[in-house]
Amino acid sequence: MSVEIDWMAFLSVFAAALIGAVAIVAFYALGLRMLVRAGRVPVVTPAEFTDAITVLSEKDIKRAAKQAEKAARKSPLTEGQKTLAFVAALGCFALCAAAVIGGILLIVLGGGH
Amino acid sequence: METAALVVVLVIALALFFDFTNGFHDTANAMATPIATGALKPKTAVLLAALLNLVGAFLSTEVSKTVSGGIINESAVGHTLLPELIFAGLIGAITWNMLTWLLGLPSSSSHALFGGLIGATIVGFSASGINFGVVLSKVILPALIAPITAGVIAYVATKVAYGLTRRYDGKPDGRSGFRWGQIFTSSMVALSHGTNDAQKTMGVITLALITVGWQSGDPSSPEYHNPEFWVIVACAGTIALGTYLGGWRIIRTLGKGLTEVKPAQGFAAESSTAATILASSAFGFALSTTQVASGSVIGSGLGRRGSTVRWRTAGRIALGWLLTLPAAGLVGALAAVMVRWLGGWGVAIDAVLAVVIIVGLFLRSRRNAVTHANAMSDVAESGHAVELPEVPGPTRRTSRIELMRALERAERKADEAERAAKRAKKLKKSGGTPSEVKAARKAAERAAQKYAEAEKAAAAWEELSASRRARAKLAEWDLGVDDQEGAR
Repeated sequence: MSVEIDWMAFLSVFAAALIGAVAIVAFYALGLRMLVRAGRVPVVTPAEFTDAITVLSEKDIKRAAKQAEKAARKSPLTEGQKTLAFVAALGCFALCAAAVIGGILLIVLGGGH
Repeated sequence: METAALVVVLVIALALFFDFTNGFHDTANAMATPIATGALKPKTAVLLAALLNLVGAFLSTEVSKTVSGGIINESAVGHTLLPELIFAGLIGAITWNMLTWLLGLPSSSSHALFGGLIGATIVGFSASGINFGVVLSKVILPALIAPITAGVIAYVATKVAYGLTRRYDGKPDGRSGFRWGQIFTSSMVALSHGTNDAQKTMGVITLALITVGWQSGDPSSPEYHNPEFWVIVACAGTIALGTYLGGWRIIRTLGKGLTEVKPAQGFAAESSTAATILASSAFGFALSTTQVASGSVIGSGLGRRGSTVRWRTAGRIALGWLLTLPAAGLVGALAAVMVRWLGGWGVAIDAVLAVVIIVGLFLRSRRNAVTHANAMSDVAESGHAVELPEVPGPTRRTSRIELMRALERAERKADEAERAAKRAKKLKKSGGTPSEVKAARKAAERAAQKYAEAEKAAAAWEELSASRRARAKLAEWDLGVDDQEGAR
């Protein structure tokens, strides 16, 4: 009994998943970086503290927000540059969303064959 | 024919029960990481997972076709025997699932299902009833390759996420913003779970329907193995319900047994899991979502600086994975032996056994014995396979920057020491009071000592920017200094 294995299919899955995942992560990370550059540092506190998360006090959270504000005030960029960075951040997030939607469409419409 | 019809009804009931336990068991696959990083409240996470599992089940039917039209050679086995074998296989899968759940062993619902079906067919009929080519290329190889693939992708993605957001000026890096992103990536994982796991049950039910001729359509058309719409709706609904109810266990324990996961790491792990499962679903590979999620968690842990593998834990997880398929096959084979030897009585005994198992499972879940072993699933367990230092060593670039700083400081201190020494000499020459001269000499000594210290620090950074091992050494040294300061 001969068994034929489609090794190309495995390679395709690996390539598609690698490109998809890395693109999404890279665009999102770049978006965050641009957001920081634009002086809008996101400070997102945990929604709920599980035992895996070091519990932050109100004071810690306020300190983080203050630090972010200070960094934004001290930014050497002009207002125009900041706006540009913000637009770039939004662009990165949009590309990230497009990659996700594209991936789902590929599954729904195409299939692998 | 009537017995076959009765068995098919039993198969549908049992398959839907399996679907329910699958959702129940796997909520944590999608939701362990966002709960661990605090991206979502457990209640929201569970509701989201249930809804997206429902949606995901409608997205693709490739995996279902693999199960219903590839693994078992239905024309060879014959239409009277096959429903009984599927029934026996399902019993094998459910029993093995329950055993591993009770013992807290790592396992995979999907492999239990395939193991049960294959074992029952080989023993109840013969090895020629199995399409080994399909089993190898669409079940066994994906099972071995997918977790490694997911791990590699998660490793790369974690490196990218950290690399692109790293700052060297000590200003906020905004990495907590990955928590927003995690809401989407964990949703994608839940969606992909629906596209892969719900499909397996659909495939089993469709296979049973085909054997008794209840499947509509033309048997010669390639569309014949597509699941009926009511099957899709039933399976989607059941897995969503299972996911939702399974989530309450997580809420009760609120993340007990979770390791610390940083938002950037969690985001990368979830992206990798979702991408791997979605791409595999498109190709009809029936893989274990639990193993893929575990592979991603381990890979993303290794992507963080200074992490090492705990081989004992990793080995235990891998052993559980390897054991599932043959073990479930063995139980399925035993159930099939009963059917073959005792005929109708065998089916009845199997059915009674199934009811006993289901009732046992129900009673067990009513007992409020939720520990980290059974609450957060294997994905959380795999988090323990990677050890992370509290303070990771400096990056190469950080070492270079620190080296420059240390060199500058050493130069400054050298100047200061020289000036202090000159001042002391001058004071002595110009006839200052003994106390003044003594003070100046002391100041010069202090400056010289500071210069020596700065020189030493620069040498340490120089060594660090040279090699990885040296960098790790400095991280330890840093911790030691912290401890000393803490003691002071």
